[in-house]
This record gives sequence, structure tokens and C-alpha cells, in this order.
Amino acid sequence: MEEKFEPKIVALLCKWCSSAGSDLAGVSRMKYPPNVVPITVMCSGSISPDYIFSAFKNGADGVLVSGCHPGDCHYIKGNYYARRRLALVKKLLEFIGIEPQRFQMSWVSAAEGAKFTQIIKDFVKELEPLGSQNKLRSNL
Amino acid sequence: MVSLDDIKKECKSILEKGKVKYIIGYKKKNNFYLSVPAFIEKVNEIDQLIWDPTCVYNLVRYLRDEKLRKERQKNPDTRPVGVIVKGCDSRSINVLLQEKFIKREDVFIIGVTCEKSGVIDEKKLNKKFEGNCIKKIEFNEDNNYVITLETGTTTVPYKEFLADRCVDCSHNTPLVYDVLMGKKVERSVSEPFKSLGRFESISTEEKWIFWKKELDKCIRCYACRSVCPMCYCDECVVDSINLAVNPDTTAEEKAQKIRWVEKSPVRSENFNYHLIRALHLAGRCTDCGECERVCPVDIPLRYLNKKMEKEANEQFGYIAGIDPEKPALVSCFKDDDPQDFIR
Amino acid sequence: MQKILLKKNLSSWLKKITAHRIYAPVKTGEVWSYELIDNPENITLDYPNTAIPPKKILFPQREVLLEFESSNEQEMKLTEVVPEELPTVIFGVRSCDARGLAKLEKIFKGGFEDIYFSKRNNLTILVGLACKIPISANCFCTSVDGSPHSEEGLDIVMTNIGEIYFVESFTKNGEKLIESGIDFFNDPEEKHKNELKQIHQESEKKIKQHFKGIDNITSRLTKMFESDIWDKESLSCIRCGVCTYSCPVCHCFDINDEVLCTFPLKGKRVRTWDNCQFPDFTMHSSGHNPRSNKASRLRQRIMHKFNYFNEECKECLCTGCGRCISQCPVGIDIVEILEKVNVYEE
Repeated sequence: MEEKFEPKIVALLCKWCSSAGSDLAGVSRMKYPPNVVPITVMCSGSISPDYIFSAFKNGADGVLVSGCHPGDCHYIKGNYYARRRLALVKKLLEFIGIEPQRFQMSWVSAAEGAKFTQIIKDFVKELEPLGSQNKLRSNL
Repeated sequence: MVSLDDIKKECKSILEKGKVKYIIGYKKKNNFYLSVPAFIEKVNEIDQLIWDPTCVYNLVRYLRDEKLRKERQKNPDTRPVGVIVKGCDSRSINVLLQEKFIKREDVFIIGVTCEKSGVIDEKKLNKKFEGNCIKKIEFNEDNNYVITLETGTTTVPYKEFLADRCVDCSHNTPLVYDVLMGKKVERSVSEPFKSLGRFESISTEEKWIFWKKELDKCIRCYACRSVCPMCYCDECVVDSINLAVNPDTTAEEKAQKIRWVEKSPVRSENFNYHLIRALHLAGRCTDCGECERVCPVDIPLRYLNKKMEKEANEQFGYIAGIDPEKPALVSCFKDDDPQDFIR
Repeated sequence: MQKILLKKNLSSWLKKITAHRIYAPVKTGEVWSYELIDNPENITLDYPNTAIPPKKILFPQREVLLEFESSNEQEMKLTEVVPEELPTVIFGVRSCDARGLAKLEKIFKGGFEDIYFSKRNNLTILVGLACKIPISANCFCTSVDGSPHSEEGLDIVMTNIGEIYFVESFTKNGEKLIESGIDFFNDPEEKHKNELKQIHQESEKKIKQHFKGIDNITSRLTKMFESDIWDKESLSCIRCGVCTYSCPVCHCFDINDEVLCTFPLKGKRVRTWDNCQFPDFTMHSSGHNPRSNKASRLRQRIMHKFNYFNEECKECLCTGCGRCISQCPVGIDIVEILEKVNVYEE
């Protein structure tokens, strides 16, 4: 019996908003696909491009970065820096031939459990036809 | 035409007066037509200086060595270092000033304009004159190249052998200098990112095939990193060497030590290295073209950095190395930065 | 054994030896490199030299030494990974590169045998291509006891004489290789032998770079460890690594554990090329670095090549291929440095 491809998503979630939002989804028993590996970071602004490349190298099929809405960052400005920096990461990944759907960013507040759920559902749907990410996967 | 005599006169003057410790310039390599970097300490060495189309090196790279040297000395000589810069090199100095890596008083800048043309691409030259020995290349009054071969002298229009980075350049006059040699000639490039056009119309898969083929050649010699004036980190992301190992360190602890890029020159590590480097240079690279020139296996590295330059310009209105007082690309933001890629 | 081979019969000979893996220089873009050939029709022996020497075939840039796996803290399962001995032929090896491989053999097989090099080397046959003209302005093989047509380290030397190759074997393996395609070879006539001699003699005269002091360079260097010549000559060095990686004889390596998975702990112990010009080459785990400045690293390179090795093996670790000079990003010239060492007065 052929196994259905299940994309593996690494989600880098900021502690104060997005991670709390994902917790709210859990507490409210909202169902979303179990394909996500959540990693809590203090702020989306603390995310270095190294983390994203490392996620792809270790076999992630998709990477999601989620932070507080602009203006609501717990550290005031972190998400603004993230917005700039990760825009460059996204363009660079597309430039070298990684499917643009594999790296996504979102603003999810602590109250947006439903939005988080929908983002994950949509992400999994978009990754399924793309198949396994073997381009940047480690071949050590 | 830039007068070499004027350059020599200025260098002689500042060296004689003790204004600078030494001057970093260009001199001719023995028995070869290419120039090499020169470090002039004594006045009687000034005659070694040259200025010709083979002066491709970005000498700002050596300001890093000078800084390291000063840090190691107990009572360092605090006089500035003289350095001969072209337009592209002067932007590198601006980036170093912007990042407070060096102070303005640490460097005495002898700016030289490229006037109409620029420097040569050695590879294009070798292709055309394969087998024929080149003895010398000089600028003439119209900024074209006068090439002296074993078989005779020929003048060629500069466009034929101009380095690619000069084709895209609109900063042919140094932006920061203490003295300026040569005429200021306005140059504007209508399509500064034309070279990226070949990637615009191809599919994701075709882009991957292109980069796979190019980066599989990489032997991780790190010439690109070493020649770049902006890659000045004491410990680079690929070096990860800070690991205190004692007899109690367990295998698990050693295994879990973070190493972003392994030393093996396999595809995933090569991509990792080049992608991280392109991002670390976003908003800092001034397209001096040295990384591509020094690569022993001919990887077209300028495309990666040019792409970041294009995004910085089009999305954030930022050009590297123009104003050292402004904040760097990734250490500032605007309220209306584009965010249509964010859900 | 001396034979002649019509150029158009080269691929026919190669098709007879397909039991071997065949490596030959291939051009990608503007850069030549040694690659595995699947179709012998594609081999051309009309090329300058590769950017990376053929040492990469016998001493690959990445060599897995062993694999480790542990599912609990007490046990560690180790699997040694040893390369297979595969019959291999490398075509188009220039004499300088072949001498480099001969020196590598002395290093990797003398004293303690390096099994990884040995396994790859044992069944490898080297077919050389003599240089008619110096392949770069920076060649200086004749200054380091070499020549453009030297057979040292080679099983066969091929010389291009117009429409034919003059093919001469110097070892039993070379002879056997010719015999496997013997139908395509003919015996050389007197005129071919004369032309060969003339080409070989003229090729030596055409070399432009000459350094005459190789015989006393070792003794001069012994006295110059503390000299300030190294500070002066290393001023423009940007400590990249191109000179060492592109050298046919340089062979320093680093061994690292690459962890693929932390639970269960799985990984590989890997040997990769290392470079004495990298700043952290001599970095100790205490943080001390005895060669932290460029001058000491340049001195190390010159000393290793022209002093330390000479004291042990009576030959220098340089074959005069000129790659380090051609590829140095800032034009540092090893011959220039040697000439300065020869005349340096403190």
C-alpha cells in the first residue's frame, strides 16, 4: 500500500503571540494537521536566516515563520526587522530554485487560534503536490 | 585621462610629510602585464605605483589587516593608512564607516575616477589573445585600452574587454575621498540589474538546475570570502571552532554543538555557505566583483549578491555604500515595508 | 614499449579498456576538470591543464573514514568505510601532476600506509600527456628537477605529433594497457622517434620561468626562520586557500565528525582537505593559535615545500605546475619569493 506523502513543516513561532496563538488552537480543540514541528523563539526578529536554511537542510518540506502583528511586538520593533530580513530570505530562496510555497511568513496574534489553524491547513495542502524537499536536504 | 604623475606626486607628498604610515596602491607584477597590490612605505618606492586597466583589486580589503595589526600592538602608530580607491572601492569604505569598523581618520583616501571606462576582465582578454603574450595595457586619452603584445601594439574600444561589474556601474567617481584624481564623468546605467534578466523568465526548476550545476563545482577554498572587504568577522559561520573540550565532554554534547555549515564540499553544505554569505552581504555588497574574479572554478557569484542588491533597491529603496551616516539595510525598517507575502 | 597511435583511433582504444573507470579532462564553461567519462568518444587530449589537479581522484576532498551509531550511552557501533579497489585509468595527466602523485605516494605509503590512498591508487594507471609548449606562463617544472615530458609517476607517456600520438610505456601496467588495444597501434618509424626527441628538447627550452637556486634553497631557508622577509612577502596575501587546494602535492587534511542524527546518535567521521593558509588551521582547543599571522603561514608553506620535506626525502614538495601563481587572487608568486630568499641579506 503506497503511503501518502506527509509534508514536514517547521514552524518558528514567536513566544508572545504566535506560539500563544497555537496554544489557543490546542486548548480550544481546533483540529489542524499534525505535520507541524513548532519551535518557540523569543521574537520573530531573533530569527537568523541560518535557522531557516538549517531547517531545510535537516529535511523540512516547508518552513513557517510567524510573529506578532506590526505594532504589537512584545519587544516593540522585532517583527519589523524580521519583515525586512525574511523578505530577503524569501527572494533568495526563490532565486536559487526553491518553490516559493515552501517558505511562508504570517502574523498571528495570541487570540488568533483559528487563523493559525487555517494557515497550517492551507500550508499542508500547498505542500502536498510539491512532494518531498530534496534540494537543500543534507547529503552528508 | 588620469595622470599617474599626479597620483605619484600626491603619494610622495603625504608620505614625505609623514601624514600616512604607508600607502596601499597598485604596482606591476614582475614579467607580467597584470598589476598586484603594493604597500609603499618609503618615498623611493613611489615610482613602483601604476594606474592602468589591470588595477582590478579592491584594496579596501587590506584595511582589515591594518586594523588587526593595530589591535595586536601595545603602542600602535595611530596615523592613517593611505589607500588608492576606485568608485566601487570607495563605496566599500563607506560601508565600513557605516558599520563603525574603521574610523574616517584611520584612512587617507586617494580617489581615482574611472572616467568613461573601467577595468579589464582578464578572462575576456585571455580568450581573445590566447597564445599571444600580453606585455602591457594602458589607458589612452579616450579611456580606451592600448594593448602591447609581443607582436605589436593595438588599441581596442574599452567596451570589448570591460569587466562585467563596470558595465553595471554608475558610481565611477569615488564618493568619499581626501584627494581626487581624474575627471568626474557622469555615468548612468539605464538598467542596472539587466544581468539578472536571464533568471526572470525561467522556471523554478530551471533556476535550480543552473545553481546546482554551478555550486556543485565549489571547492570551498573561501577565496570569495577572503577577498571581500565586508567579510571581516573574526569567526565566520563556517569556521565554528569555539568548542571547549575537556575529558568529561560526552559524545552527545559534542554532537549537539551547533555547526551551521560542515566542512565537506557536498551540495547541501555548498548551498548553505553561499546562501548564508549572500544574506550576510545583503545591503552591504557594493559589487566590486572581486568574489567572481578570484573563484578558481568560475562560479558566477555576482548573481547572488546582485539579486540581494536588486531587492534592497526595489523593495526598500536602499543602495549600499552611499551614505555612511544612514543605518544599514537590515538594522532599520520603514512602516510601509512590503508585506504582501505575509499572511 | 614504444608505439604510435593515430589520433582517430584514440576512442577505439578506450572502448577496449572499459573494464576500467576512465577519468579525463573535461571542459565545463571555461574551466577544465577531471571527470569520469562514460563515452570514450568525448575525450579530447588537447587542453591546457585543469584548475584542480588529479590528486582529487586518489585523495578526494571528502573521504568518509567510518560511520558511528549509538542507541544508548554504553554502546557505540563503528563501521569502517574503506574505498573499493577499482581498476581506474586517468588520461591526460601532465608530468608535473604525475610527479605530484608520485610524491603523494611517498607520503601516504611511506612509514604508515594510508589505506584510503592505497586502495584508490593500487589499481590506477596513469596515462600522461607531454607538454609541447608550456601550458601557462607560470610553469617552472624544469626549475624543480622536472621536465615537460618526464615519465616519473606515469605508466604511459603520450606525445602529440601532428596526426598521431607517440605512446611510450614505462611500466608493466602501461604495457598491458596498450596491449588491450594493440590492433590500433603501430610500431614507430625512425622519423617518429626523431620528431619525438626534437619536440621534447624544444619543450624544455620554451619554458619561460626559471629559478636556478633550487640546490641551495634548503640550506638558505634553514637560516631564515626568523627573517623579516616573510612579513614583507605576505603583505598582500588574503589568506584564502586557492594555492594549497590547487597544488598537486599539498595534502593536509582535517578530520571531523559529522552528526546526521542526535537520537539515535548517528554520524560519520570524515576527512576533508585542510589548508595551512586558513587562519584557524593551527587553532588549538585552548584558543591559542601559534600561526595567527599571515607571515608565519607563508613561511610555513615555503618551508614545508622547500626545507622540511627536503630534509627527510631529499626532494622538494613542488613540481612547478604554476597553478598557485596563476590562481592566486593577488598575484603572489612562489618563484619570486624563492628568488628573493636566494639573495636576501638581513
